[in-house]
Amino acid sequence: MKRRQGWLFFIIFLLTLSVYLLINYPLQLGLDLQGGSQLTLQIIKEEGKVTRDELEAVNSVIDKRVNNLGVSESNLQTLGGDQLILELPGEQNPLVASRVLGKTALLEFRTQKEGTSTDLKTLQLQRLSIKELIERYSFSEKNQNDNNFLKVIQDDLKVIEQELNYSSTSNDLYGKLIEIKKYVNKEITNLFIKTDLSGKDLINAGRRQEQTNSNWEVLLTFSNLGGEKFAEITKSIAGTNQLLAIILDGESISEASVGNQFAITGITGGSATISGNFSAANARELEVQLKGGSLPLPIEIVETNTVGALLGSKNILKSLYAAISGLIFVGIFMIFNYRILGFVSVLSLVLYGFFNLALYSLIPVTLTLPGISGLILSIGMAVDANILIFERIREELYDGNTLTRSIDSGFQRANSSIVDGHITTLLSCFVLFLLGTNFVKGFAATLGIGVLISLFTSLNCSKTILRFFTTYQSLRQKNLYLPKNNFSN
Amino acid sequence: MKYNLELIKNKRKIIGFSTVLILLSLLGILYSTFNTSFKKPINLGMDFVGGNELRIERVCEAECSDFTPDSVLEKLREISKNKNVLNNIKLQFQNNSKLISIRTPYLSIEESNNLINNLDSIIGPLNYDSKDSRLIGPKLGKRLLTNCVTSLLVSLFAISLYITIRFDKKYALFALLALFHDLVIVFGIFSWLGIILSVEVNSLFAVSLLTIAGYSVNDTVVIFDRIRENLKSKKAGYNETIQLSVNESFRRTTFTSITTLFPLLSIILFGSYSLFWFSLSLSLGIIVGSYSSILLAPSLLLKD
Repeated sequence: MKRRQGWLFFIIFLLTLSVYLLINYPLQLGLDLQGGSQLTLQIIKEEGKVTRDELEAVNSVIDKRVNNLGVSESNLQTLGGDQLILELPGEQNPLVASRVLGKTALLEFRTQKEGTSTDLKTLQLQRLSIKELIERYSFSEKNQNDNNFLKVIQDDLKVIEQELNYSSTSNDLYGKLIEIKKYVNKEITNLFIKTDLSGKDLINAGRRQEQTNSNWEVLLTFSNLGGEKFAEITKSIAGTNQLLAIILDGESISEASVGNQFAITGITGGSATISGNFSAANARELEVQLKGGSLPLPIEIVETNTVGALLGSKNILKSLYAAISGLIFVGIFMIFNYRILGFVSVLSLVLYGFFNLALYSLIPVTLTLPGISGLILSIGMAVDANILIFERIREELYDGNTLTRSIDSGFQRANSSIVDGHITTLLSCFVLFLLGTNFVKGFAATLGIGVLISLFTSLNCSKTILRFFTTYQSLRQKNLYLPKNNFSN
Repeated sequence: MKYNLELIKNKRKIIGFSTVLILLSLLGILYSTFNTSFKKPINLGMDFVGGNELRIERVCEAECSDFTPDSVLEKLREISKNKNVLNNIKLQFQNNSKLISIRTPYLSIEESNNLINNLDSIIGPLNYDSKDSRLIGPKLGKRLLTNCVTSLLVSLFAISLYITIRFDKKYALFALLALFHDLVIVFGIFSWLGIILSVEVNSLFAVSLLTIAGYSVNDTVVIFDRIRENLKSKKAGYNETIQLSVNESFRRTTFTSITTLFPLLSIILFGSYSLFWFSLSLSLGIIVGSYSSILLAPSLLLKD
């Protein structure tokens, strides 16, 4: 008797502990429940596998960029060796993050090849006309101009394409304009020779508005060595007609001449500015990218999920309704069929719910929609064990055994087949957890934890509760354990 | 209360019924592979082929003004910069025109943002708090598909291994036969749903198949255990003992299935829409699984 009381106190203790945990360490909700965005970044490597070092390097660059963006409470983690998952909770538009993160941001400084002045001038002029075409295009978009206006832009673009001896492959006009602009920038890059100065020589980046107009410029601060390299390079081309180009991801964004006055020392002071007609937003993006350094391998954003906060809270509510109504359905069914025994199983189900949630906050398990469905599904499975036991108890009772004996042997004899039966479900959960995506893992985790806890609640807890009940004389009548209509046969 | 399922008498009917179900499923799978636009055994959803899915509610005073999807598409074509986005676009209104849902091939975040802005100018204002948007690149889709197929194969292998170790050959064979029967039928039902209602399957469908596998074997194990136990005590003939065992565990098996179906029914009725098809396929799997555990697998054990 003492030992039985011990179990009862242990269960009450666990329940109190669970409630305490749940109050003090609230459950972590996934983005589909609290609202927010999730981006999956895939590291692209043409040959071979992404090594651990490369993954770490990409991770640290992305982490720096995210921090410099000023995104609050973001969460970055690696997935499966060559992917990163970035979570942005709340109402933060993934657009800005995607623009900043997606680029390699490889910064180079190049000097002009000799004898390319005329080529460069032609290309620069072409770049100007494309920029003008893009402006005209945006203007026509805003003002809903007729098709004639667009036709003119199209014709002008064709002229430029003929001059470049390049035909664009995009299907629509805007895409073509952007494509040609890129092409020209890359052609310009080809007129320049690499130097040993690159984004790696930066220690900081900043931005400010230009004094003469509303454009922004990006400020670069070199390391000591970088400053020396920069002085050396500028010295070598000072006063000549060779230009210095600043190149980002293979596209020249700015070409500048170095004045004769720098011919002796080069440009010293360890800093430079890029003024490439940046808008405020573009300047900020470049600043963040340069501060974080360039990515050792290019990445691609392969998945973006965004859930609004309102939808998230609706999802919570819906899941709550589903869980509670599931519990009620199961409860009514059990009490109807097994009477007191059914009531006992409902009590252990409630315990089961508390223990589960407490464990989620302890491990911690982040609750997502699939996770909740795993939990709700495991309610049904948790009762399975009870049904097996109760059927055995009923059989024993029909055979004319006493209540206490029936209960004892019911629990004992059902034990092995219960544990056995859950093994295959656990096997499936295990495989899902190992191989599944993030999304799927939530389901596997909650279902697996649920099945394990249900072994404890349906075997131990219901036994303890039942024994506690049977200490009361009035609860020991056999007909409270068997449905009336069935008892007569 | 005793149950009396006449297993021995109805053996042929049961096996015939299952054969018909399996043939119908295979027919659906074949039809889907060769005669549909998607040319796959089952209509693969966005998770596996990539794409963009957007659901967002409109802010309306009392009732939302009516738009036909075609009129919205036409306006979108007029004002969109990037016409590419509008190829293969599917647009639907739900909830008295309050909710709009859109499917397109894969878009970049930028393109998707532009699409939403354009929508806002046509049917807005939109309630961004209610937004649900998913963008999946085609590369990731392929990867997810391989991932799901591997998980399914690995777990089927693990379950088969477990069953073979636990039972002797004959039992193991029939338990596995019942398991594949369940999976093929659920798969077939979704092939047909894809053909008729263009229902798509995503990674949660694969999860449901795995869960069904775990659960259905579980039921068969319990009944086979009962059969083995009763055969040892040799109360009656071989066939009669099997029938008796099935009847003895009938209540237990149906009851556990019913209690598992209740929560699933609650998710179907009250849960989030994204879990609807998942819960449905799980429910179907549990129903088919109970049938095969109670009737099919033991019938296969019967001697002529």
